[in-house]
Amino acid sequence: MPREIWDNVYGLLVDDGQLALGAIAALAVTWLVATRGTQAVREDSGWLLLALVLALVVANLYRAGRNARRHVS
Amino acid sequence: MDPLTLAIAAAPSFVASAVEFVEATTIVLAVGITRGWRAPLAGATLAALTLAVIVATLGVALVTVVPERLLLGLVGALLLLFGLRWLRKGVLRFAGIVALHNEEEIYRREVAELRAQGLRRTEWDWVGTAVAYKAVLLEGTEVAFIVIAFGAAGIAAMNAAIVGAVAAGALVIAVAALLRHPLTAVPENWMKFVVGAMLSTFGVFWFAEGVGARWPGDAASVPVILGAFLAASWVATRILAGLLPDGARVEARNV
Repeated sequence: MPREIWDNVYGLLVDDGQLALGAIAALAVTWLVATRGTQAVREDSGWLLLALVLALVVANLYRAGRNARRHVS
Repeated sequence: MDPLTLAIAAAPSFVASAVEFVEATTIVLAVGITRGWRAPLAGATLAALTLAVIVATLGVALVTVVPERLLLGLVGALLLLFGLRWLRKGVLRFAGIVALHNEEEIYRREVAELRAQGLRRTEWDWVGTAVAYKAVLLEGTEVAFIVIAFGAAGIAAMNAAIVGAVAAGALVIAVAALLRHPLTAVPENWMKFVVGAMLSTFGVFWFAEGVGARWPGDAASVPVILGAFLAASWVATRILAGLLPDGARVEARNV
């Protein structure tokens, strides 16, 4: 039971390790840009995060599609 | 707190809770129909109480102890991780790469397993209690997470999120009790996909606010961010359809 609870809690946030790591990297980049940049850069950092995450989603799903194609061929 | 903020807290809780309750109800129904109702209902009630304790302790601790900026960043990061997971799975299911969740099949498999284990009628059915407890607790953990995240805006938001989750649970249980059959007609993938997009949207919105970003029109930017996620998901689905026109139906973790 404890193992299953841990698996569930871990699985709550991580289904695909690369997607989770990519999201954490996007958050870290945004945080760095917001804390080191000028006030104008900080105020616009939300759009940077959005762009990074959208690129991540499309790239991750593209990779998933290629992996699935390898599985079926 | 204004009605929009309360709706923002209640809506994702309601939809996510409905999806998870459908999945948990399938297992509880399977136990009840094969082994009797007392034990699974006791197990489900115990699990609901466990979840209530988790929400109460973690939720109150978050709202009262963590500073607002840090809370926004923390909740935003967790919502983004959680939302992207549901969004990804939803797109993969729409593209036929991953098989759709089949409540009927899960129900039949669970009934067969429970019948194989048998039941000694003179004793309390601990197997039935444990199976129902585990199903409701594990499916409910995701709901608890969403309730805590959306309720982190304050006590009113927490109450709205709890009301959303409880209302969905009551609705699903009432319909399942009437039908006495798994709720196969619920569009689970659509609901999970929409919640995934909403959670990702609020994850980006709140994390950015946590690090000091300003959104044009504040909450008015939320539909724009949501639209961007839906557009990216549509693009990804088209790409996947081009890569695998007939789908693949493989395990999500294998892709």
